[in-house]
Amino acid sequence: MQQSFSSTAAACRDWWRGTRNARAWWTLARYDIVLRYRRSMLGPLWLTISMGLMLLGIGPLYTELFGVSKSEFFPHLALGIIFWQYFAGTINDGCTAFSGAANHIKQGDNPLAVFGWRVWARNLIQFAHHIVLVVPIAIWAGISPAPANLLFFAGFLIVLANLLAATFTLGIVCARFRDVPPIVSSLMQFLMFVTPVFWLPDKLPPKARLLLLNPFAQLLDVVRGPLLDRTPPPAVWASILGWTVLNVAVAAILYARKRSQVVYWL
Amino acid sequence: MPHITLTDVSVAFPIFGAYGTSLKHVLSSSVTGGRIGQDAGVTVIQALQDISLDIREGDRVGIMGHNGSGKTTLLRTLKGVFPPQGGTREAVGRISSLVEPVQGMEPEATGWENIALRGVLKGISQAEMARLTPEIAEFSGLGDYLSMPVRTYSSGMMMRLAFSIATSIRCDILLMDEWLSVGDVEFKEQAEARLREVVDRSGILVLASHSADLISRECNRVIELRQGRIVRDGRLVAG
Repeated sequence: MQQSFSSTAAACRDWWRGTRNARAWWTLARYDIVLRYRRSMLGPLWLTISMGLMLLGIGPLYTELFGVSKSEFFPHLALGIIFWQYFAGTINDGCTAFSGAANHIKQGDNPLAVFGWRVWARNLIQFAHHIVLVVPIAIWAGISPAPANLLFFAGFLIVLANLLAATFTLGIVCARFRDVPPIVSSLMQFLMFVTPVFWLPDKLPPKARLLLLNPFAQLLDVVRGPLLDRTPPPAVWASILGWTVLNVAVAAILYARKRSQVVYWL
Repeated sequence: MPHITLTDVSVAFPIFGAYGTSLKHVLSSSVTGGRIGQDAGVTVIQALQDISLDIREGDRVGIMGHNGSGKTTLLRTLKGVFPPQGGTREAVGRISSLVEPVQGMEPEATGWENIALRGVLKGISQAEMARLTPEIAEFSGLGDYLSMPVRTYSSGMMMRLAFSIATSIRCDILLMDEWLSVGDVEFKEQAEARLREVVDRSGILVLASHSADLISRECNRVIELRQGRIVRDGRLVAG
């Protein structure tokens, strides 16, 4: 009992030591982005451009296919794609959080947590380059700010917590089992289609409503809903909070128990 | 007082075979009681065993031993990279490690950026880095090359940069692994002078090397490793 308590405390200290060194993980994340676009003229602006082009390509097509009104559907679709890419990007990236940072980890200057935060921050920076597209879209669709939009921030905090937890969990699991990353990436592909990224949830036949129980649908709902003035019902908030607690708990337990072994697997 | 103490430390690496890193195989072998998934069996390499070592201020320890005898692993364990599976490690003081320092570089970033990055990762304050950076740049002798991506450097140039960074940052304990083998004659002399300076300043040096010459010149204590165990730990008479 005494020992498990002190090892939990040690894990917390270790995690906090890495978390506190925000300058390290933020710099690493920033370099990841800047260096990737170093040899291109427009730099990270490409992130925005390629997302914009994708939306321009998919938007009109799907609007026609589904036969829905443009100004209603396009913001839904655009936010869906932007958020989904953020979720899936972080989760796929999280798989290599530690195995991809072996060179730094073996230098021994920083606790593991730094490299989890780095992936989390790198994807947040990417997301920031995408989400700016919301402004022109909102203007085009004639959406004006409403008080309910503020709930977005609550939803986004939930997203941030979940993505951080997933990064740590997957980073540890994938350092040990190297066939997990492709499994994760196929799974995310599958989840994209059963989550209302591309389609409107109210068009679902009643039997298919079960799809909306998947945690990614709820995660999307708590950030996209408030922005489109369609605040999700309390049941969705309660459910996603439950998932968040579970997700964070799994990450915390894995970090506490396995963090010191990770370096042996690299 | 800076010191590192290892007590009965053992370090073992699990080496997973081709299938050992596969989740599918580990799961299927647990289902079948481990008979089918023989390849999922884990080989364990005992890299260090029953290492007890007390390194105090003023010690300049040379580590000798064949390839694979555990020298680098011992350095990394001293640094705290590998938490020992058995025994305890206790360390006081700022440790700077020159074990594969080139590994910590970002190839696409410039020399200047790599200096900044190493500083940040080592937790050096911005003010201190602002003071250290010109000094590092000068010692490296890389001049305009510092504005070029590090991937364009030769291995000797990389080593210059890595060495300059690692030895400019103040530390109490310096760990080194065969670094002197790279670099031209001029830089070697310069580096040896710098090394002496750092050692005088830091108090503790641990140097793994195959060169008995180097060790007898730089060290006052020799440890010999054989198959992960210490087989000799003795003082050298200064001279």
